[in-house]
Amino acid sequence: MTTTTTATRDSSGIRLFSWFLAKRLVQAAVVIAIVSVIVFLLLQALPGGPARGILGQQATDAQIAAFNHEQGFDLPLIQQYFNYVGQWLQGNLGRSFVMNTDVSSLIIQRLPKTLILALAAVGGALLVSIPLGMAQALRRNKVFDYVMTGLNFIVYSTPSFFLGLLLIMFFTQLLGWLPASAPQGDTVAQILSQPREMILPVLTSGLAGVATFSRYMRSSTIDNLHEDYVRTARAKGTPMNKVISRHVLRNSLTPVVTMLGYYLPVMFGGALVVEQLFNYPGMGLLFWNAAQTTDFPVLLGCVLVISVATVIGSLLADITQFILDPRARGGVK
Amino acid sequence: MSTTIVETRQVPALKVENLVVDFKTKNGTVNAVRGVSFSVAPGEVLAVVGESGSGKTITSLTSMALLPSTARTSGVVEVDGHDVLNASASAMDAKRGNVVSMVFQEPMTALNPSMKVDKQVAEAILNHRGVSKAEAHARAVALLEKVGIPDPEVKARNYPHQLSGGQRQRVVIAIALACEPRLIIADEPTTALDVTVQAEILELLRNLVQETNTALLLITHNMGVVADLSDRVVVMNAGKIVETGTTVQVLTAPEQPYTRALLAAVPTLPEAQWDTVIAAERTKASFPEAEVKEIVAVDPVLDMRGICVDYASGGRKLRAVNDADLLINRGEIVGLVGESGSGKSTLGRAPLGLVPVTGGSITLFGGNALKASKRQIRTLRSRIGIIFQDPGGSLDPRMTVGDSIAEPLVMHGVDGRRPVRSVREARVAELLEAVRLPAANAQRYPHELSGGQRQRIGLARALALAPELLIADEPTSALDVSVQDEVLTLLLELQKEHGFGCLFISHDLAVVHSVSQRVTVMQHGNVIESGATSRVLQHPEASYTRHLLASVPSPNPIMQKRRREARFALLSSKDS
Repeated sequence: MTTTTTATRDSSGIRLFSWFLAKRLVQAAVVIAIVSVIVFLLLQALPGGPARGILGQQATDAQIAAFNHEQGFDLPLIQQYFNYVGQWLQGNLGRSFVMNTDVSSLIIQRLPKTLILALAAVGGALLVSIPLGMAQALRRNKVFDYVMTGLNFIVYSTPSFFLGLLLIMFFTQLLGWLPASAPQGDTVAQILSQPREMILPVLTSGLAGVATFSRYMRSSTIDNLHEDYVRTARAKGTPMNKVISRHVLRNSLTPVVTMLGYYLPVMFGGALVVEQLFNYPGMGLLFWNAAQTTDFPVLLGCVLVISVATVIGSLLADITQFILDPRARGGVK
Repeated sequence: MSTTIVETRQVPALKVENLVVDFKTKNGTVNAVRGVSFSVAPGEVLAVVGESGSGKTITSLTSMALLPSTARTSGVVEVDGHDVLNASASAMDAKRGNVVSMVFQEPMTALNPSMKVDKQVAEAILNHRGVSKAEAHARAVALLEKVGIPDPEVKARNYPHQLSGGQRQRVVIAIALACEPRLIIADEPTTALDVTVQAEILELLRNLVQETNTALLLITHNMGVVADLSDRVVVMNAGKIVETGTTVQVLTAPEQPYTRALLAAVPTLPEAQWDTVIAAERTKASFPEAEVKEIVAVDPVLDMRGICVDYASGGRKLRAVNDADLLINRGEIVGLVGESGSGKSTLGRAPLGLVPVTGGSITLFGGNALKASKRQIRTLRSRIGIIFQDPGGSLDPRMTVGDSIAEPLVMHGVDGRRPVRSVREARVAELLEAVRLPAANAQRYPHELSGGQRQRIGLARALALAPELLIADEPTSALDVSVQDEVLTLLLELQKEHGFGCLFISHDLAVVHSVSQRVTVMQHGNVIESGATSRVLQHPEASYTRHLLASVPSPNPIMQKRRREARFALLSSKDS
């Protein structure tokens, strides 16, 4: 009897989750569609349009008209938009005006490098911020906590380009320990073979993560330390350090890990500045250069990838929460 | 004879002598416990009773050395002969869960939500006994079985949220029992539970104490729980002991005025005629008195018939209320009773249009409330006053009390117009006077008031538009018993004065008995029984009502023994 109840609960949990996942996937598709429309319209609003950007100031009106006709830019906006979407669905993101290569192959070449940078930055940030946040929570309102909180706010409120410049000034110019330019190369292996060059870009994009995650970790640890189950564990005779490692850590991690998914797009946004600053050949630099040269297809392709990453990130966040928190897995009353 | 000598020489399970506990706060020192002495012998159940702020919980936490670091203690606390106040952290870790353990009030939050049940029980064993993990797991399952968890092998692998509230409290008790401690401290162990579940947990605790000769320190505000379980009672007030004695003596012949006043404030149920009730349950007979029509529409303010309420949840329909009837005449208080999940609050919200009514009819002040336009609903609502359980949560903390009371006046207008300031202020002063509070309170904020004062403010706000119907949803459940008594008395006086009809929703049968003329009992969304309060409580017709009444512990130990026997008799007749 009870076995069946449990089984029903589990299967109803899975059913609830599939239903939830299906709903989220539909939402995701809608979000991507809306983003594509907005980006498309924004790019249309650029002064002079892409033709002027590509052909330069000297181009004649006739040349521009011919270019527009060739590219389909003289068609009604709606038709242009659907042409783009049709191509996207076939995996064709168009060709770069400037570099004269397929946008998709550019992105395939650049995306892994940005992912490496982002993962290294987030991974490093987590390694530092989880123990830091817990340590602050355990020494709440003591000097250590105040100092770290102050540092966190300074780092958090410093723009990453400025932070990067400060790091270069300190580690490259003053101490001469680290190179100021990022690893170069076409393949991922080449990038990975230059770890010293990776340190400053990873630090620059990771420090803000340390500040963010440790704030979350601090407050969720404080919340959990006041939970009744901590008192129950103490009443069993579990020493405080074990109460923390066995009970508090996992429950405090849930909000932080959940937030990681939402942090993915933030990392992409940060890559724009960091990659430009250190000349790192990733998506951010690609986007930056494309924006400088009004390279329409590349810009659209990058935005598409970033919006898909955003949606995947928040999906991942929901799924991790489902895994970490048994209460989310069903037994919904 | 020699055994007596050995017994008197026995080390007490808990000895507290001259205990003083102070808290250092920003606003100075708070004296929480001021010189308290008592002891608990092995196998004895000592109840510490008192209202909030009496220091009873602080005393219990001191015995576990689990006080917050801001506390300063002096005196002597010994558990099984071991000093607690000066023990090192590691020495106390070795004692907690081993020599002394604790059962907490809130089973919903007392367990780690992301750890399986067996691991949480096994942890207590592994902390103190050098056994393998497999052995600890096997013992954990055996403990779960001992505390009456059905299918312990399966439930052991569940997470806490997959268990019911009663089962979770059984798990907490299993953890406390894990290492067969000399003393168990139970701090309001049944307060968060439904009354039928409370009766089961009390029975479990009673059997465990008898079986294991463990001493039990019972912290509670519920005199029924005291009467049911304890041998001796310590009454505390404002950090001091007021009275000590055997349970029968303190509860039936209290010496101190404070104890007498406290007991007088406890609402009591009339004793059901158990012999006839049990006989009727056995023969499935009904009482002839119940045939008489008890519910007559004289001048109904609310007449609900065949009400169904469905909630959608994850694509499924959940029926919260099923085919329920409820009638309230002008000038009448009707109690609506049930345990959690019975649908009583949902049914109470139906006339306000706050829940999705999917069937039945609602006649409100003679008009059809389900067919009313939005404008008409607004007008209808202005004729209903509402008062909620949590007086703190239902008042806006950033609004002065006066503004909160005046809000309905502003929303609905006075004589069809938005009242000017002087009219508003005059009305607020009038309402504050009606709920026996000084008019100066209008300028204060909710956090500056006590729980009882806040509930009076809630009452004043509900009365602002001179309602013809008052819906009170558990209005006194968050209050101490003496404050509850004051608020209930006030409610009855106001009802007499203004003559409104009142729906009084509560889980507490004794409270309902003290205010209402008629009562409706609900279970699982269904109306089980309706009728005159005295008839329903003394000659209950429905099997569920009988069981419910027998589960409410009486504050009189002698009566409680009878009720307990009646409950067993009812349960056994159900089984047979």
